[in-house]
Order: sequence, then C-alpha cells, then structure tokens
Amino acid sequence: MSVRIIMKLLVEKREQLDDDLVRVWFRHRMRPQLPKWTPGAHVDVRLDDGKIRQYSLTSDPNDLARYAITVKREGDGRGGSAFIYDHFTEGSQVRVSMPRNNFKLVPGKGVLIAGGIGVTPLISMGRALSQIKMLESFHFCAKTSRPSIEEVLSQFCEGSLSTYFSNDPDSHRLNLASLIENLSSDLHIYCCGPERLMSEVKYLTSDWNPDQLHFETFNISGDQDQKAEPFDVTVSSTGETLRVSESQSILDVLRVAGYVIPSSCRQGICGTCECRYTSGDVIHRDSILSPDERQDRIMPCVSRARVSVTLDL
Amino acid sequence: MSWTGKLLHIHIAPEASHEMEELTEAQLVAGKGIVGDRYYLGRGTYSPKPDCREVTLIEREALDALCRDDPPMQGAAINVDPGEHRRNLTVEGVPLNHLVGYRFQIGDVILSGGRLNFPCRYLENLLERPVFLPLYNRSGLNCWIEKGGVIRPGDAIIPLNEVTDKPHR
Repeated sequence: MSVRIIMKLLVEKREQLDDDLVRVWFRHRMRPQLPKWTPGAHVDVRLDDGKIRQYSLTSDPNDLARYAITVKREGDGRGGSAFIYDHFTEGSQVRVSMPRNNFKLVPGKGVLIAGGIGVTPLISMGRALSQIKMLESFHFCAKTSRPSIEEVLSQFCEGSLSTYFSNDPDSHRLNLASLIENLSSDLHIYCCGPERLMSEVKYLTSDWNPDQLHFETFNISGDQDQKAEPFDVTVSSTGETLRVSESQSILDVLRVAGYVIPSSCRQGICGTCECRYTSGDVIHRDSILSPDERQDRIMPCVSRARVSVTLDL
Repeated sequence: MSWTGKLLHIHIAPEASHEMEELTEAQLVAGKGIVGDRYYLGRGTYSPKPDCREVTLIEREALDALCRDDPPMQGAAINVDPGEHRRNLTVEGVPLNHLVGYRFQIGDVILSGGRLNFPCRYLENLLERPVFLPLYNRSGLNCWIEKGGVIRPGDAIIPLNEVTDKPHR
C-alpha cells in the first residue's frame, strides 16, 4: 500500500440505500474543492483504530465539491465496513486519503462486469464511457436485486445494462462463457467483484491480449500481522549467503557482514536503501514501491523473504 | 553573511501524511518544534528516529526552479505549492545551504541549521510527482529552535553570523 496525503473531511450526508448499504458523502472542511480524480479511483479511509480500508469513489469526478463512497456492511468482514456503517454519521470528521487510481479507463469501447459491491469502481467508469458513447455493455451480478444501485446504473447505461440475481428464481444467470465468446476482439473488459468471478473472467479470456483486460483488486496490507520468519540472503557479487533471523532486518545483517548500504528512515518509507533482487519470494513491507517496482526491487530495511532472496549487490 | 530574507508561508500537519495546514502565525518552542505540528507532537513520519527536525525550511527559489524545469532533469516542469512540500516554512532570499551550523533569526525567534534536508521517496510518493532528483541539494534545511516565540508570514529573516553549539552536519 503506497503512502498518500490524508485529508480531514466532513461527512456531509449519509444516504441509507438499503438495509445493509449506505452512501456517504464527504466535503473538505476548509476548501471548496477536493483533489481531482479519474473514473475507477479509490480513497483510503482511516478507521479510528488506525486500520486503513480502500473504497472506490462512486460520485461524479466532475463534481469536486464532494466525494461519495458506497459501503456494504459486511457482518463477517474485517470490520471496516461495519465501522463506517455504524460511525460515519452526518457532521462527523473522518480521515480520507487523496484519491489514487489503479483501475484506469483506456481508450476503446468497454464491457463492464460487476459482482456484488464490486460494482462501485465501475459506476464512475460506466458513466464516463457512456458520456463518450464507448460503453458497450454493463453486467451487474448480485445475490439479490439492488434497486438503489440499478437506479444509478440505469441513469447512464440506457439499454446496455443487464442484471443477474442469483437468489431470484425469475432472474437470468450471467453466462460468462457465452458473453465473452460473443464479444468483439477490440473491446476492453473491466471486471470487479468476488475472486471467483474475476478468476472465471481471467480463465475465459486467457487467449485475449492482456492489455484489453482490467481487474480491480484491493490490496490488503497482508503482512501486517505476519510473524517474521528467518530466511537466507545471498549477495550475488560475492556469492556469500547470510542468515537473517526473525528479529533482524536484511539491512542489519548485511551491515554486520561489512556491506555498505546507505539507509535513512529504516521504516520502508524514504527509499534510501532500495536495491534490486534477482530471485526469491519477497515479502514487501515498505510503503513506497509500486507493484511493478516490486518485481525486482526491495527495501532491505523492512522487507523480508520466504526461505531465501538473492540481492543484486 | 549579509542578507535579509522573508518568511512567506507557515505550514504544519497534525500527523504523519496528513494534509498541511497554513497558519497566519505560529508558536515556536525551543527544543521542541512548532505547536500543533507532527514533529512537536512526536507523530511525524520520522519521529521514531532521533534527528534535527524541530522546524524545516525550504527556499521559494528552489520551488520556482522546479516550476521552470531548471535544470531539466525530470522531463517536465513540476509545480509544488507551498502547502505540498511538507516543510514548515517557505522562505525567500535566504541561502539555506549556507546556514548549517549557524544561527539566524526570524522575527524574534532564533533558529540554527542542523543539517540539510534530503529529498525522499516518501514525498515523491505522496505527491505522485518526480521531485526526488530535482530537489537534490535544495531540499531545504532542518533546524533547531534555540529561542522560541511567535512568527508570522512577512517576518524578516537575518543571519546572526554565530556558530551554534547544537549538533550539525
């Protein structure tokens, strides 16, 4: 999860959309406008216990006076949605990051496939595509009908919206294989929803050009509760292999062994000690490397590895 | 040294990564920081690491240079507003790099230069702009507060030409 600036925003309005669904509107306490964002963007919402949850913006990017997120209360979730649902009341002050977008629209016509609350990033994307006549079709699957969501989607989808509700015997089921088989090869697919839905779409499009496939996956900063395990670090230039115990960092071990590596913050945020690795299953614990950069770079002050890692030093 | 500079902006943030807020006046406390700022409160990104960071300054001229893409190192001009660079004080006409180890005065407050600020990837990530390289050697000055007091934008800044006995490097 990368760092970003946190704003203190006011909850301007809270709309109960359904028994378990709420739309929360934010505005800035002092400024008339919030930072710009693009369709598909999300914000980090900080909870009182310091935890961070990511939510897609579901408002209109042309209206910068306010942001909205749409939250489904997940009783058996990790607690974020329940906290927001229970505590984000009108007038309360909350900490929300500036938006960031990992799920951007690209030029070309799009087919949008949403599963459940995974519809949220696709709302602004569908609206934007529709405005430029590039929305091929919008497929929304859920367990039960969600009139509030369908109403929002129908405002811009015109005839291109199809809905599928698995608990409704009168509803169609989405036949993904048939849908994808009949798509024109120049379309882009944008998909967000449960892992099972996204896996099936990935499987059915395995012969597609990857540039035409777009999936939104919210990262859980998964290692924050992980217990550190010992592993080996190998320095490629010397071939030396050193053991990193559960209480040491790679940086500590390399320094003791005489390797000179500049460092500053020792918290994985300043980037001074960044180096490359050539092999190994790295557990990234820094706050600054992008997913692409993490393919071959590591912050040895905080990051670790499973079993072993070879550094390009 | 003989020059007279000016304090343009004062910014603080209550916690690490939080948006900076502009002040029309600020209370500086010797040995601590700016009242209300994350480093005064011990909640800054780098608070766990003992360092000179009671108050941080940056030159408006350095920000102007980024805005002109000068030198052309990052592909395009970069606009960094005074509320974005995360230093507390934006100053004009003050040769910050020459003040490491020296006392200088802002209004009634006396600061001393502890060390040059170093650009970091953290800031680059926060801003989503490639400021790391173009801020090299002009990323500002981290200072000790030797004599506290109130400062306001528009206050004159003058050198005292005295070597500090505070740590500096």
